[in-house]
Amino acid sequence: MSYAVGDALPPFTIESISPTAMKEWAVFLADPNPIHLDVEVVKAKGLGDRVINQGPANVAYVMNMLAAAFPNATIEAIESRFLDNVYGGDKVVASGTVRAIDGDRVECEFTLDVEGRGTVNSGTATIRLNA
Amino acid sequence: MSELAELPPAPAVAGIKLDGTGTYTISAVENAALCRSTGIEPKLDGTAHPIYYYIATQVAMGQTVAGLCAVCEFDVEDGPMMGSSAARFSRQLRTGATYKVTGEILSLIRKRSRKLGVMDVLTYRLRLHELDGTTVVETDNVWVLPRKELA
Repeated sequence: MSYAVGDALPPFTIESISPTAMKEWAVFLADPNPIHLDVEVVKAKGLGDRVINQGPANVAYVMNMLAAAFPNATIEAIESRFLDNVYGGDKVVASGTVRAIDGDRVECEFTLDVEGRGTVNSGTATIRLNA
Repeated sequence: MSELAELPPAPAVAGIKLDGTGTYTISAVENAALCRSTGIEPKLDGTAHPIYYYIATQVAMGQTVAGLCAVCEFDVEDGPMMGSSAARFSRQLRTGATYKVTGEILSLIRKRSRKLGVMDVLTYRLRLHELDGTTVVETDNVWVLPRKELA
């Protein structure tokens, strides 16, 4: 797959963020924070009425988008800014744009957007081709 | 005198080590479950999902999340928030590989924001090493610690 500066990368979509997956991530991260597990805790803290996805999972969706856009390449660097929460049941779309190409390195900008609420994560990544 | 000068200073935690005392092995079974939880199939070449940069460093650093907050004199129940996370990879992460973690707190800076009131911005750096010491990834994480008691 070949890109030029300004090209959009194919988006990666999760149709509905799964509360069951949040329980798995609590184990992966060894972090039993109840805002990811118990909607009553989320309500009690005034954070909404649905469980909140773990931030690193949101980064993982972006990484999946980059991996699909650049098969057989590797992520050399990534920087993500967390702008808002992703909740159980949200539809999220990771998308990106090629910002620069320097030899075998491609710099991209990306966002993770929630349908109806806008961007919840944004950042940049450097992809190394044929690593 | 600025508004911040009227506040007590943030705890002096810069330089505190976050070196792990144990090791972390990326399980192929867990990697497969993690990949599927994010909507993809695991790779068959032995490489792990790159998000393990965050997971492995957090799990194997020398503090739990609650412990890291406590070092900053912050109660984890008050809701730390992720601000940003950056990673620089030297090698791909692999299932079955065992890693160790070193790291340190870079800064804890007290700020005032319109949205959150008084907050401390914690920046810490963690490195994931192979057992021979080779660094495979370095990450800088920024957390926002809202200081409700100072708002």
